[in-house]
Amino acid sequence: MLKYIVRRSLQAIPVLFGITVVCFMLMHLQPGNPADRFAQNPKITQAQISAFKHRWGLDEPLPVQYCMWLGVCGDKGVLNALPGGQANIAGVSIGLPGGDNGVIHGDFGFSIFDGQPVTTIIANRALPTIILALTAYAIWITIAFLAGVYAAVKRYGKFDSTLTIFNYVGYSLPTFWLGLMLIAFLSVPPLKIFPASGMWDARTVPIFGTGQYWAFVGANPLTALTDLARHLALPVLTLVLVSVAGDSRFIRSSMLDALNQDYVKTARAKGLSERRVVFRHALRNALLPVITNVGLEIPFLFSGAIATETIFSWPGMGRQFVESVGHNDYTVLMGILLITSVIVVFANLFADIMYAVVDPRVKYD
Amino acid sequence: MDPRIEEVDRSGAGGPSPDYEVALVSLNQWQLAWRRFKKHRLALIGACIFLGMVALAVFGPFFLPYDPTFVPPPDSLFCPGSTTQLAYSGCPPLTPGHLLGTTGSLRLDLLTLVVNGARVSLIIGLGASIFSAIIGTIVGGVAGYFGGLLDNVLMRIVDIMLSIPILFVIIICAEVFGNGDWKVILIVFAIFGWQGIARLVRSLFLTLRTEVFVDAARAVGVSDIRIIFRHILPNAISPIIVSTTLSVAGVIIGEAFVSFIGYGVNPSLTPTWGNELTAAQDFIAQGNWWWPLFPGLAIVLTVLGINFMGDGLRDALDPRSRE
Repeated sequence: MLKYIVRRSLQAIPVLFGITVVCFMLMHLQPGNPADRFAQNPKITQAQISAFKHRWGLDEPLPVQYCMWLGVCGDKGVLNALPGGQANIAGVSIGLPGGDNGVIHGDFGFSIFDGQPVTTIIANRALPTIILALTAYAIWITIAFLAGVYAAVKRYGKFDSTLTIFNYVGYSLPTFWLGLMLIAFLSVPPLKIFPASGMWDARTVPIFGTGQYWAFVGANPLTALTDLARHLALPVLTLVLVSVAGDSRFIRSSMLDALNQDYVKTARAKGLSERRVVFRHALRNALLPVITNVGLEIPFLFSGAIATETIFSWPGMGRQFVESVGHNDYTVLMGILLITSVIVVFANLFADIMYAVVDPRVKYD
Repeated sequence: MDPRIEEVDRSGAGGPSPDYEVALVSLNQWQLAWRRFKKHRLALIGACIFLGMVALAVFGPFFLPYDPTFVPPPDSLFCPGSTTQLAYSGCPPLTPGHLLGTTGSLRLDLLTLVVNGARVSLIIGLGASIFSAIIGTIVGGVAGYFGGLLDNVLMRIVDIMLSIPILFVIIICAEVFGNGDWKVILIVFAIFGWQGIARLVRSLFLTLRTEVFVDAARAVGVSDIRIIFRHILPNAISPIIVSTTLSVAGVIIGEAFVSFIGYGVNPSLTPTWGNELTAAQDFIAQGNWWWPLFPGLAIVLTVLGINFMGDGLRDALDPRSRE
């Protein structure tokens, strides 16, 4: 068991390494380089530009630049970063070679657009994404689970056929368009029920994430919470409608598989009540694939909400990504891409290990 | 006739020449599949919807009086037949001359936009899926057939590409290389869409390469490339067709989103279902619900048709995979 976990973790290392290479290459797809901004400035001489390039390692060959960006080849790297240590998210040296700069030290450089450390920008945007994603996730997994299990137990019944139709349609809806339609019909007169965009009402609530906001939350928690809930309603509804479709289908087929197993027949033959057969024998086994699927879905909460966040102007990571593409702000783009990819790798790892833990039939070799 | 009766007939026919028998079997497989597909009612509906959309995209523009990029001159402040609805906010459906209404701002005819948008949306969906199916089949086939180090390297590349949120990468590449050109967007979707099929083909090849007919082919000196494409691939083609069909739906939705946020196909060059929605967002607050509704409905219908068709194909081509 331990051996399996260790081997599975070791397998993740080349993938993580490959992800950094892909991210670095994507960064170099962007036209120009950080020294280009001086090209139009008559006061800056050619010598100064080459000094700048030398200072940040831009005159080195690409593999060396990659190594410096990664943070293992000296501390002058990180394309476009300011002097060492400033962007270090932890604020401490963690004993890795190459100083404080570089991706492996948690330093993603500085935004080209507004000069803030990338880690600060991402940290500010992470909480709204987590709030939206987890709320939606909790609701849709509950609904999908109940609907999927019920449909499987009453197979080919009325509910099952309705759910199948709903799943086909829900699976075919583009998330962003569903969001647009919900806005068009639920936040525009005559049915002006929910706000169309944003995360807070600027007239009553201070900007989210600031000190004033938390002070406001402390002073009148009920107002803050209702305001948040009102703004959450439509984005959450969008995510739930789209995601229940795929998940309930998956849970239904997993439950059907379990109900067709021999041990269920045995349980029925023993004369157990149907309730006991379904809940004790089938359901517990149907949960196995569901658990791994849950693990695999978590990273897509971060990347998958990109359409929803864009439509509803939700100040999360997905929206930040779309904005940064517009600004050509590639340090921020790479930071978001790298972090979400790493989350995917760890979630996969977690799902595999969870599967081995909950299902004793899985062989570890 | 019951498909099984034919199979019995064939095996009981005695000893026809080997060439003849091979031809008969391969013909029969597709006939059987078609027979199963015809029985699948949803699949037939899906195929009709999809083919209808294709027909609309190919022939529709010839029957419409408007050009998709033609901006009508500002002739009146209000919509025809109305004294309250501002033409600037768009005219509602069933306005004389505009069956689905008009967009806000430029007052383009929505029916024209939806029909013309179908062309590029469908071309990107089909083209990118076919391209990525070809790449995925080659990569997966080579990896599965040769195995060893090559397999390991190729599959690690697939692992890496599956770990990165591919939509993010597509958005970046579309923005950097795209310039709003739909051909570039098609290629970007093709380049980043082959990993799933590569995995599928590899797993199929891993089991098929141990079959006796592969050993036989190798024994008579058939080259590796020929074994991969002429001997193994025809046996693996059904799941590839199903997976490619379903991926068309994914690409259509993906392209629509990338174009919607403004990094895909340029709306002033080529209308697609996605980029027609971009400006619609600003007019929702003015009560214009028909502008965002109709291009999106076209996407939903097409994707629904493709999904029905894909499920039917799966049942028809690979009866063992039925629930």
